[in-house]
Amino acid sequence: MMQNPRFASVLAIAASSLALAGTMILMSPRLAAQPRGKTVYDAHCVECHGPTGHGDGPSATYLVPRPRDFSTGKFKIRTTETGSVPSDEDLNGSIRRGMYGTSMPGWERILSDSEIADLVAYVKSFSTQFTAPPKPIAIGDGVPSSPTSVARGSQVYDRLQCSKCHGTDGRGAGAVRTDFEDDHEQPLPSADLSEPWTFHGGATARDIYTRFRTGMMGTPMPSFADAASDSDMWDLANYVVSLARKPVWSMSAEEVRQFYTAKDAEAKADPVKRGKYLVETLGCAQCHSPADKDKHVLPGMRLAGGLVLRIEPFGDFPTGNLTSDKATGLGNWTDDEIKRVVTKGTLRDGTRLLPFPMDWGSFSTLTPDDLSALVTYLRTVPPVVNKVPPLSKPLLPIYLWGKFRMLILGSDPPMVFFSGNAGTKGAH
Amino acid sequence: MKTFLKGAVLVLLVVAAGGLCTFLYFIPPFYTTPPEEFGKAMSDAAPTVTDIADPAQRAIAERGRYIVMTSGCIGCHATNGSQGPDLTKYLAGGAVKFQTAHSTTVSRNLTSDKETGLARRTDDEVKRVLRSGTFTDGHVVEGSVMPWPVFSNWTEEDRHAVVVYLRQIKPIRHRIPEPVPGNALTVPGAVEQDYAGKDYGVKEQ
Repeated sequence: MMQNPRFASVLAIAASSLALAGTMILMSPRLAAQPRGKTVYDAHCVECHGPTGHGDGPSATYLVPRPRDFSTGKFKIRTTETGSVPSDEDLNGSIRRGMYGTSMPGWERILSDSEIADLVAYVKSFSTQFTAPPKPIAIGDGVPSSPTSVARGSQVYDRLQCSKCHGTDGRGAGAVRTDFEDDHEQPLPSADLSEPWTFHGGATARDIYTRFRTGMMGTPMPSFADAASDSDMWDLANYVVSLARKPVWSMSAEEVRQFYTAKDAEAKADPVKRGKYLVETLGCAQCHSPADKDKHVLPGMRLAGGLVLRIEPFGDFPTGNLTSDKATGLGNWTDDEIKRVVTKGTLRDGTRLLPFPMDWGSFSTLTPDDLSALVTYLRTVPPVVNKVPPLSKPLLPIYLWGKFRMLILGSDPPMVFFSGNAGTKGAH
Repeated sequence: MKTFLKGAVLVLLVVAAGGLCTFLYFIPPFYTTPPEEFGKAMSDAAPTVTDIADPAQRAIAERGRYIVMTSGCIGCHATNGSQGPDLTKYLAGGAVKFQTAHSTTVSRNLTSDKETGLARRTDDEVKRVLRSGTFTDGHVVEGSVMPWPVFSNWTEEDRHAVVVYLRQIKPIRHRIPEPVPGNALTVPGAVEQDYAGKDYGVKEQ
């Protein structure tokens, strides 16, 4: 075989390049230790968790709950004692399955087993907490669900005062408070226990038992390992499972009708809540809050306006201050004036807006009830003094030349989103 | 006679120039069209759900329609014809091209087309994009391009209703190019949205 000079040279090149690669790997231990985990992380995780794992990626600002800050080493979904870091299997499971009811998707069918394992190692490298070994808990067989176990669980629910945060019905009824914050002072409402499809770590009795037992670190949900016996916690888990209601995708026609009628009644009874939901899901804050270069809303400036959109050739459009400040916000606007902008794109002084960037054509299809709820909620947004400059239109010749380029020459003018606040912030 | 001709030509030129300027000033007729018509166009364009036989699905799809309509999906997922957005091609995509620091992305086809639309995806896959911007191939669309961080605030049941509705949109074949790394930004660090009324879909024979 070696008589073939071509084969010999190929072999020589292969051997030398292999040796070179080996030397390179040996000479750069960091590269050898975690190249793949970082590659996978940078490709799939930075949009939410940020390049340094602080949970501050460009999309993090609007997510509830906020993406995990890996630097703290605190994780919600664990099978380890409270105060302990999670086990590798815990992290692996969370990446694989995702976190139900949050923006963390399951990566099981997207990433390979080895990629997920590499990712676990890389995520652990963000925190020094992982130098201490995890303290796993032993989970027994549990108490099988039965009417008596559920009844006992209901008593445990009362004794541990779960209703203070989750309500007597598990849906917040009579709760002292449901609008909590996590360790980073980011909004975190208490879980609706009737919607098991939103339980981040799964909805089996075993999952729920584990949450009671270990607590959800970084959130106000503590561990009850010291306050309740093991069988108490299993009974409680069985009780919480029993609180589940039917989701809309399993309902009959009559149930769907009743469900939406009840939803409408709920919205009417609590317009602030409905309005908040509308503002959050229509994305008002995404344009009406100034953000820095990393797309993080400037501190305390949610809905305070001042983000600038440049639309050639129409001009620079700073977004309005939607807070309830009387001088610079909506405080002095009447309900009808606010509704007129939202649905007809017409400002107080009669100025007409373009049908973009503010999509008032779509908002005009809101029902009158929803529109009122939206206004009711905006009234409750704490005032922020931020005087936003008026729309700046280009000079007429520039405008006409821009239109000519766009409509006749077919050039492609962009709409540009700028970072920073164009308004003048004031003290209140 | 000569001076008269000269004068006539001059007047004609001035009228033509003035006419062009007036045309440019008022076209498209954003400021002259009554505001009510923009909203009517939006609600008329969204296909109704009366074709759905199953009453439960129909009620859910009706709610989905309301959310799709009010959320303005059509703002980016429209298809442009020669006269701007062609609302008969509801949600067939391609109207807007986004450029960010990382990539260039074109709004996708959300109709039920089997080869170029949402029929390629399962319900869970569509919901995953709406909740976390994560596509089947693992790429994550930036939240400043597709506002999925906003839509992640939908309850799981509202998100389900949106998917049920999108499944009812009649299929329109319109292939959209995959996102590509790189861009041609005019303002570094900004997010740019090209909206000039072109079709950024793939031209097919």
